Amino acid sequence: MKVKILFVVLSVIFQLTQAQKLVCKTGHIWFYSHTPMENIEAHNKQAVSILDPSTGDMQFSLLIKAFEFKIALMQVHFNENYMESDKFPKASFKGKITNPDKVNFKKDGVYEVEVFGDLTIHNITKPVTAKGTIEVKGASLTARSKFVVTPHDYDIAIPSIVEEKIAKVIEVNVDATYTAN
Amino acid sequence: MSKKIWLIILFIVLALIAAFIVWRYTFRKSETTAASMKTDFYLDASTLLREFENNEDSANYRYLDKVIVVTGTVESVTSDSLSVSLYLKETDAISGVICSFDRDALDPVTIQAGTTVKVKGICTGYLMDVVINKCSLE
Repeated sequence: MKVKILFVVLSVIFQLTQAQKLVCKTGHIWFYSHTPMENIEAHNKQAVSILDPSTGDMQFSLLIKAFEFKIALMQVHFNENYMESDKFPKASFKGKITNPDKVNFKKDGVYEVEVFGDLTIHNITKPVTAKGTIEVKGASLTARSKFVVTPHDYDIAIPSIVEEKIAKVIEVNVDATYTAN
Repeated sequence: MSKKIWLIILFIVLALIAAFIVWRYTFRKSETTAASMKTDFYLDASTLLREFENNEDSANYRYLDKVIVVTGTVESVTSDSLSVSLYLKETDAISGVICSFDRDALDPVTIQAGTTVKVKGICTGYLMDVVINKCSLE
């Protein structure tokens, strides 16, 4: 605990010499799976993200158990059978905006960005690239993106019985609003 | 002859009832709060937080998916179109417990920063703070 406090104090001192990092604790991340058999949708409203405007570094972290489905049984299967969330409770992204100089973090506007980094799901890490936007509005900043994830790439096993009900490629959406730390 | 037909009818009716029960169970909607569930733990927000800070793996094993009634001081209330969050945090602490409510489960204007609340919800884990979902006020 003491080590953690010391670490925090040193980080704060270090950060005071940098531009303020932006933090989001209620990031909205949701995904869709569309098949002729079934449409599946789940929402996570507690994603955490840190964005450093000076370097373009961007990180996301989220809890798998925080994904909410309309149908209770879908949430159970998602956690127990596909994501094994008792073993792997989180998913994360660690990367950066490839073109941070295209974004004027001090001027209101909507900027097109590309983000590149490592996405870790089900304890498997893969490099990903995603396009998105950053909207600057006064003191707040909102990052939005839409990209696709292939469950098979992350060793997420879909049993043949339900193969027809779950899309091979899942559409993921991100909407995160940051404030100064 | 007549008895056989009645047995067949009874069997069909029982099979239909069973099918209906299975169908209802399979497609039942998720609860928006944990209010109707049995509580597994009664804890202070600071105690729960400390357990995750000290040993996340053992705290996960102990608390993930469990129904917890958390008592704590509201540091801030945030809300958007989808949900309302109560941030339970001690003034000198760096982290706290985020209690997330469905928009319909809590009217944000009824909660003031600085008050102590009891919140019932399901623990989904620990990021920068402990996260409790499907919350309702006790």
